[in-house]
Amino acid sequence: MIPVLRREFLGILRSPRALAALLAAAVAFSLLILARWPAGGIVDLSGTGSRGAFLVFAAALLGGVLLLVPAFPASSIVRERNQGTLLLLFNSPIPPIGIYAGKFLGVLAFAGLVLCTTLPAAAAVYAMGGVDPWRQIALLYAVILVVAILSIAIGLLVSTRATSPDAAVRITYGLVFAVAFLTLCPHALTRGTSGLFATIADWLRRLSPLPVVMHLVGQGGAVGGGLLEKDSGVWQFLAGGLGLAAVLAVATILQLDHRLFDRSRDAGKITDDRSLWVRIVRRLVFLVDPQRRKAGIPFYLNPIMVKEFRTRRFGRFHWLLRLAAGCAVVSLLMTLAATNGTMDWGVETIGGLLVILQIALVVLLTPSLAAGLIASERERGGWSLLRSTTLPGWRIATGKLTSVAWTMLLVLAATLPGYLVMTTIKPTMWNQVMLALVSVLLAVAMTLALSAAIGAFHSRTAAATVTVYVVLMILYLGPLVIWAFRGDPFGEQVVRWALSITPLGAALSVIGMPGFTQYELIPIAWRIAGAICVASLIVYALQVWRLLRPE
Amino acid sequence: MNAPASPVLDIRNLTKKFGEFTALDNLTLSLRRGQILGFIGPNGAGKTTTIKILVGAMRPTSGTATIAGADCVRDAWRIKRLVGYMPDSFGAYDNMRVREYLDFFGAAFGIPRGARSKRIDEVLETTGSGWMQDRYVEALSHGMKQRIGVARTLLHDPEMLILDEPANGLDPQARIEMRDLLLKLAGMGKTLIVTSHILPELSRICDVVAIITQGKLRAFGTLDQIMRDLRQKRTFEIQLCGPAQVEAAAAAVREALPVDEREGVKAHATESLVRFDTAKNDTELAAILAALVGRRIDVSQFREIPKDLEDAFLSVTRREAPAA
Repeated sequence: MIPVLRREFLGILRSPRALAALLAAAVAFSLLILARWPAGGIVDLSGTGSRGAFLVFAAALLGGVLLLVPAFPASSIVRERNQGTLLLLFNSPIPPIGIYAGKFLGVLAFAGLVLCTTLPAAAAVYAMGGVDPWRQIALLYAVILVVAILSIAIGLLVSTRATSPDAAVRITYGLVFAVAFLTLCPHALTRGTSGLFATIADWLRRLSPLPVVMHLVGQGGAVGGGLLEKDSGVWQFLAGGLGLAAVLAVATILQLDHRLFDRSRDAGKITDDRSLWVRIVRRLVFLVDPQRRKAGIPFYLNPIMVKEFRTRRFGRFHWLLRLAAGCAVVSLLMTLAATNGTMDWGVETIGGLLVILQIALVVLLTPSLAAGLIASERERGGWSLLRSTTLPGWRIATGKLTSVAWTMLLVLAATLPGYLVMTTIKPTMWNQVMLALVSVLLAVAMTLALSAAIGAFHSRTAAATVTVYVVLMILYLGPLVIWAFRGDPFGEQVVRWALSITPLGAALSVIGMPGFTQYELIPIAWRIAGAICVASLIVYALQVWRLLRPE
Repeated sequence: MNAPASPVLDIRNLTKKFGEFTALDNLTLSLRRGQILGFIGPNGAGKTTTIKILVGAMRPTSGTATIAGADCVRDAWRIKRLVGYMPDSFGAYDNMRVREYLDFFGAAFGIPRGARSKRIDEVLETTGSGWMQDRYVEALSHGMKQRIGVARTLLHDPEMLILDEPANGLDPQARIEMRDLLLKLAGMGKTLIVTSHILPELSRICDVVAIITQGKLRAFGTLDQIMRDLRQKRTFEIQLCGPAQVEAAAAAVREALPVDEREGVKAHATESLVRFDTAKNDTELAAILAALVGRRIDVSQFREIPKDLEDAFLSVTRREAPAA
């Protein structure tokens, strides 16, 4: 175990992103305390200031761990398998449990190091007064540590099943964010009801660290319209999180053997060569059969765009149809559940939830598609082949962008039925819906351009995906965190400015989501999004041009 | 059209510097249509730099390179039409079948859909890969990928093929198949530049060989020309009827050779054999044989051991090693 642990820990520490993470954590938390430190040596005896600082500190700590930690375990096993070193480890005397423990503790040690860089800030918060060192600060660290443990356990499990590091990173971030945020959704829909579903939803909610952290910082029930209630269940979260991590660890260890390599090559069976009966059945089952021989790329389509669709597992048309159908069903279910079950929500709240659903889809899906547009080509040797073709640079650049844009537009179009139901209930909202949709479209354009531009500077897909996710999470979740703490410690002007950075705030404001109505964010938010979009596209185009020209 | 005898590849004084480091130093060579050039050299010798300049992926610091009259720097678009390039990495795409993969590159070269389908059938047949057209690219074995890589380079029917390590990592059977494929392509009138570390393979297919070390062209020409240029000593073996006369034969050979060649005379009693390297000509060698017979040594065979590309390469690299 020790050699694996040492190599894993040192390997992480030697990577530039680890150094950047440590530096960023140290600088960010120092600035945070500096900004909140009492001016002129006057101590706030009421403790309001320190509690405000503790709020921001806790939110940043949770956000930091959620953003930084999953990337490391996610690529840990799959990268070793692809490089062939995992087989060498299996042939060493180290048992699977030792390999797992080495990897787990290696990443945990790094997470511990990141947490250590925040200790001076925690001490400063305590020094400001008004915050209990054990019942608040120590417990917050315990919760954050469990979040890190759970993230590592999820990442390592995904890493054993994934076929490439970037896929592992995407799935891990998706699952970690699902545990942190989506686990709250069923409870939000069943609140005030009883029965089995409500009980399950309540237990599911206890897997999320958000209510616990809010409770510890004294904000339980204050945020999200009561979504994060007083009964946060700190100990239940700690026990549940560790229990789930233990189950995931056992599942991962059971898979760590030579069976990981015992996968036969796909024979590439094709429907066209099968019997008439099978062809008819498959025609009925699949609207678009993925196993049918494809026609050549027609002259009017950009070959790069077609290639992007064909090489993505979820880019194939049958998957896109499933994704779109899933989105349509979720959007309709949300509207129906809200109108039938909880009438007190109001159409505006439903609209707000639809906007959040759309933006969540945009933020989760776009980086996974756009961050690796250039990086994956460079990583797998495709770029030198593309350079040797007669395709001009602008066709390569636009082909890649349009492949993501079409996918995102299709997914977003599938969420439109919810809006239709909404405007049927309240026809006067038509204009608001239109403005909200323009904001969402701008969010798609901005997210896509930003992801493509940032990803183009990387030569590894996994690193590109992580960087883009971190940037987008900060960009989209940051303003919401600031909004959640409006009034204390953030003033009206700061909240307005923060919400203007992305079109999310504008969409929520224009749709009339409670808590956002007082902010006039159009057209400033649209202008900012447009400017970011144009700037990112220029950077992306320049980088593609730079990579295509002779060295 | 160029005349058949005119050089299709013409490299003159090609130099590439990265700061103070000279990766390629004044390289000059030319190649005629339908010839196969074996481009060999140790790792970091400048082979990939040369190839990158030829395919328009890198600019030289000075000098020129033209392929069928197109300048590799100024006519980058024409070069892409004229050259089929297979890098040492395959460049696979996930979830893509072989036919889709070739269709994509055909479309990237602007081949119309109807003609493209026919062309894919042709290149699959040429490379003997038709049976794998529905396989997923990432699921192919290394040998299969190399064949598909060659098929990809042929799609736009280029005049010249530049293949970087096409036989690398192939098993003996696949290597033989690759060798036959390259000969077939040369037979079709394609000009080939092939880099490889597997020198016996190259020596069997190449018309001309270029040996490059530390960015400099050390030898260029047919294998015979290179041997002559290197003033390579020839190796001979004297097979005796029994082991008893081995030492006597070795002594007789030493007497006949100049002082600097005497140390190279080896007597192998177990094989009843004497082996030696010499720069002497055939007449002088006849005198050695006569001397052996005159001393009543029973010689059953007096034969020359043929030298190959590997020996030439080692001779060049060893000669340059002290300079390094």
